[in-house]
Amino acid sequence: MANVNTIKQPNPQTSSTKSRLTWLWSEYSVIIAFLVIFMAAAVMNPRFLDINNQLNILMQVSIIGIVALGMTVVMLSGGIDLSVGSVLVFVGVISVLAMNATGSIFVAILTALVVGSFAGFLNGLMVAKGRIASFIATLGMMAAARSIALYIAEGGSISGEVSGFTVIANSNLWIFDFPVIIFFVMTALVYVLMHKTRFGRYVYALGSNEKAALLSGIRVDRVKIGIYSLVGLLVSVAAIIETSRLNSISSSSSGVQYELDAIAAVIIGGTRMTGGRGKIMGTFFGVLILGILNNMMNLMNVSPHLQGFVKGLIIIIAVVFQKRE
Amino acid sequence: MTTSPFLIMNNIEKAFNGVPVLKKVSLTVVEGEIHALLGENGAGKSTLMNILGGVHQPDHGSIQINGLDVRMSNPRVSQDQGISFIHQELNVVADLRVYENMFLGSELRSKLGFLKVEEMCRQTSEILAKLGVDINPKEYVRNLETSYKQLIEISKALLHKSKLIIMDEPTTSLAEHEVKRLFELMRNLKKSGVSIIYISHKLKEIKEICDTYTVLRDGELVGTGSIENENLDTITKLMVGKSISQERLVQKHSFGPVVLEVNDLSSQGLYKNITFTLRKGEILGFTGLAGDGRTELFESLFGYRKKYTGQIKINNQLVKIDHPRKALEAGLALVPKDRKENAIIKDLSVIHNMSLSSIGHFEKAGFIQEKKEKDRFHYYKERLNIKVHNPRITIDKLSGGNQQKVIIAKWLEVDTDIIIFDNPTQGIDVGAKHEIYQQIVSLAEQGKAVIILSSEAPEVQKVCHHIYVMYQGEITARLKGEQATEDEIMSYATGSKREAEKIG
Ligand SMILES: Nc1ncnc2c1ncn2[C@@H]1O[C@H](COP(=O)(O)OP(=O)(O)OP(=O)(O)O)[C@@H](O)[C@H]1O
Ligand SMILES: [Mg+2]
Repeated sequence: MANVNTIKQPNPQTSSTKSRLTWLWSEYSVIIAFLVIFMAAAVMNPRFLDINNQLNILMQVSIIGIVALGMTVVMLSGGIDLSVGSVLVFVGVISVLAMNATGSIFVAILTALVVGSFAGFLNGLMVAKGRIASFIATLGMMAAARSIALYIAEGGSISGEVSGFTVIANSNLWIFDFPVIIFFVMTALVYVLMHKTRFGRYVYALGSNEKAALLSGIRVDRVKIGIYSLVGLLVSVAAIIETSRLNSISSSSSGVQYELDAIAAVIIGGTRMTGGRGKIMGTFFGVLILGILNNMMNLMNVSPHLQGFVKGLIIIIAVVFQKRE
Repeated sequence: MTTSPFLIMNNIEKAFNGVPVLKKVSLTVVEGEIHALLGENGAGKSTLMNILGGVHQPDHGSIQINGLDVRMSNPRVSQDQGISFIHQELNVVADLRVYENMFLGSELRSKLGFLKVEEMCRQTSEILAKLGVDINPKEYVRNLETSYKQLIEISKALLHKSKLIIMDEPTTSLAEHEVKRLFELMRNLKKSGVSIIYISHKLKEIKEICDTYTVLRDGELVGTGSIENENLDTITKLMVGKSISQERLVQKHSFGPVVLEVNDLSSQGLYKNITFTLRKGEILGFTGLAGDGRTELFESLFGYRKKYTGQIKINNQLVKIDHPRKALEAGLALVPKDRKENAIIKDLSVIHNMSLSSIGHFEKAGFIQEKKEKDRFHYYKERLNIKVHNPRITIDKLSGGNQQKVIIAKWLEVDTDIIIFDNPTQGIDVGAKHEIYQQIVSLAEQGKAVIILSSEAPEVQKVCHHIYVMYQGEITARLKGEQATEDEIMSYATGSKREAEKIG
């Protein structure tokens, strides 16, 4: 390091180290925040570091994590998808019905994937072709999907009648539960999609400057439809896990507020609300941070009624930090 | 002059991420002078002004106003010191009305706290009228031509009673007569004791309006003095280290077959009865005043605008282009004007901006190969002399002119047979401008067909085989490049003259 210092002009070492620090912070603030929270949790409660507790946290965040990946993509494009929780329930209800009718797990999975991406496709159509603000379009979808799910299930739960369906979410590979592995694989896939393919490039471009993206010859409408369909697809993966876990889905209480948790994870992960800037890895750590917070509050017996308050606070702090840039 | 200097900037130093951008730069501006700040793209002009405007903090050095040390810790402080800043990139808010933009952050309110809308509109009209602009103050800015947006930016700075106005390339989208008006206004301001720091790459303007100059090169002060005693060539040499020929670049040569044929194209309220042809190897120029419809015309050709009547033929095939993508597939590209709004993706890196329209060139089995992208960028970096330390930083960190070069690289990479450049040299320094025009000429020599839209008559004269002049949405003249004179172009552009018969 000595030679670096000699090369440097007499000019401000202090200010250049400072700028390097701000750079480090701006690039890796989520990971730093994650480490800080992780260590704080470890100090505050010895049970936190227990390997079973750690695995438990991962298991608990896997569903929201998969949804949050999709949410990241929409939010990078400058949109938002409020319908994820409702679509998850809708997909769950329909696919369990399909499974019970045919007796095939394969049909259940296929139905889930098709129904989920189709719901997303409709969202995309409304946003891209109908020029409806994503907030409004997906709010409509949120209400509609939940309502149909409630109607079909008559307000109650629907249970699977095919043995073996629960294997999906309740088995494990080595020490990892299946849902956790699916979450990791999905993270890797979406990461590659966003950073190594043209689709990802286009998403960033249109989130940053839609007009310039269009004038660059990008089929903005198609990209948008693709984005919302992708969210739908990820939601259906989450729906399969959610349904398989208890072998049933409740039309009234499953998936409630998933959109908020997903958005929270994305925001904590450093993605900008208005689009164009953010990272998949940021969301990954954002999800983990949320998971640790939930876990800590449970370990420390914080009233469940207060947990929302803490979460809200964290989101606001995250946004305040983002604003500073 | 006995007046003490209004502004002294002393030994200013600034580095970004360890890369020095300003090295002990000093600048003195006295009351009532127009001071030109000159230098190549990336020399550090905007950075120096951003320091004066409180946008950036210097690493070293001091600023004195009227002999008193001032720390410009944020833009507000600078404003309170009587400094207004017209930034290089437009900062108007498209979704607000004209008057709302003008008074953004300093709205007039009545005693009860209500907005004084009519009063604001009145003042807006008044100040715009001084610049010769007649637009409804309640119009939404998004519906306005770029040149109007730039005029709004200027007016906004004039609104405040400032003692010093920084103008960072205020005329990049303005037509000749608008520039004239601006200069008149600047002379009046000067008489009333206001100082102006004027940044421009148009040396003719500098000679016409400025009293003194300071030249930066690679962040260092290389010269300062009075404009009167210098000729433009010496200043150019100071800036770019060589002199630039003013000769016509394009040599006469033969053209190939017609590649683009536009027949009786009209669009309500924008342009009408546009007919022209473009041949392989030909460079056409389109010029006129702001609001002449040429930008809209070519946006229609490119598929960005869809409401028009008439026929477009490419390579003798009738085409229906309703999306820019289809235009690219048909072999027609448009380099848009007003880069901040239409071309820059500010959150993408420099390299990714370059490759955005031609990602196919860098893909293998569906995955983008970053290495290939990087190599390609380095090719353009050399060819267009793009000044950038680390091409992985986002493009908005580049100096204005270098951003523009990246945009040009992006479209060169697309490599279509027909390329339309709309105001391609916006903010590009004299040396680089020459190089870019040479590039365009060599494109034509390689058999591409080129169209250049520009409000600067001298530019189109220099590089075009034929020049079309437009006035209020119509083509009023088709002139031969080597014969056209500036006056002639002007008289067609202002509608005072008009060709009797149409020439296809
Ligand atoms: N925020 C920033 N971060 C990093 N580098 C920067 C930043 N702003 C400017 N620079 C660098 O500083 C140098 C000077 O830029 P500046 O904008 O001052 O040039 P300029 O003289 O205004 O050029 P132009 O004529 O092209 O506008 C450039 O090399 C640019 O890349
Ligand atoms: Mg500049």
